[in-house]
Amino acid sequence: MKESRLMLVQYATAVAAVILVSLHLIMQGVIYPYATAISFNNILSVYRNGFYAIFLEALLVVVLVHGFNGVRIILQEFRQSKPWTTWVDAGTVLAIIITVAYGTRTVILAVFGGVTA
Amino acid sequence: MAVGEERAKNKRGIRGWLNPYQYNAERWAYLFQRVTGVAILLYVLGHLGDTSFFVGGPTGTGPSPSAWEFIGSIFENSFGHLILILVVLVVFFHGINGIRLVLAEFGLILRKPSAIEYPYRPKGLGQGQKVLIYVAIAAAVAAAVWAFLVLFEGMG
Repeated sequence: MKESRLMLVQYATAVAAVILVSLHLIMQGVIYPYATAISFNNILSVYRNGFYAIFLEALLVVVLVHGFNGVRIILQEFRQSKPWTTWVDAGTVLAIIITVAYGTRTVILAVFGGVTA
Repeated sequence: MAVGEERAKNKRGIRGWLNPYQYNAERWAYLFQRVTGVAILLYVLGHLGDTSFFVGGPTGTGPSPSAWEFIGSIFENSFGHLILILVVLVVFFHGINGIRLVLAEFGLILRKPSAIEYPYRPKGLGQGQKVLIYVAIAAAVAAAVWAFLVLFEGMG
């Protein structure tokens, strides 16, 4: 993908992250008292509400794409060479895939998994 | 300046970030945007790890009250709450300063071009951007106070 397009991705995810993170903070500290917000039963009900599960998945993807693309931009500024660019880009894609997959696993198991001990 | 010297000057890397020589508000905002960005990413990775304990951790199969209680016993204390307050502080600064950068990128808050005049000092970013930098700092401090009240005083 062209660098100009990747910067647009960075700005789009930045705006989305501001909105989603604000909503996340409001849920954790305004709608419920913090102690209630982090209680097991409350989190379970949040995950099992389809809208919030999609919201948390969107938050996960947006923040990780923005974060790792941001690190990529910083690393690309340090050095300019074809191998460096290739490795940093590949590492960024790999990091996004691994972390999004791990976070998505949490969301899927929280939504569909049976409650254990 | 010789070509070699010019290249060396442009390749200062992180040392270039940490050298505050001739820094103005905009340059500090640039530095903090990057430092807070990396810090937030590290927190998010940790948060991915701790929230996975809601489903029993890396080897879990579903929501687990005991695993969630275990991870809560590690992070739900004064030190953990202090970290959360710092996270709120840097997230607010990073978010609002980031909005400034997006607006500037699309040319919405750039100052008007003007003739270059002696003694050729950099003219900075203009009033709009400077105001947004100070708004970002003020909002970050206010949000940190709010987080303190929520976490330590039970407000919410």
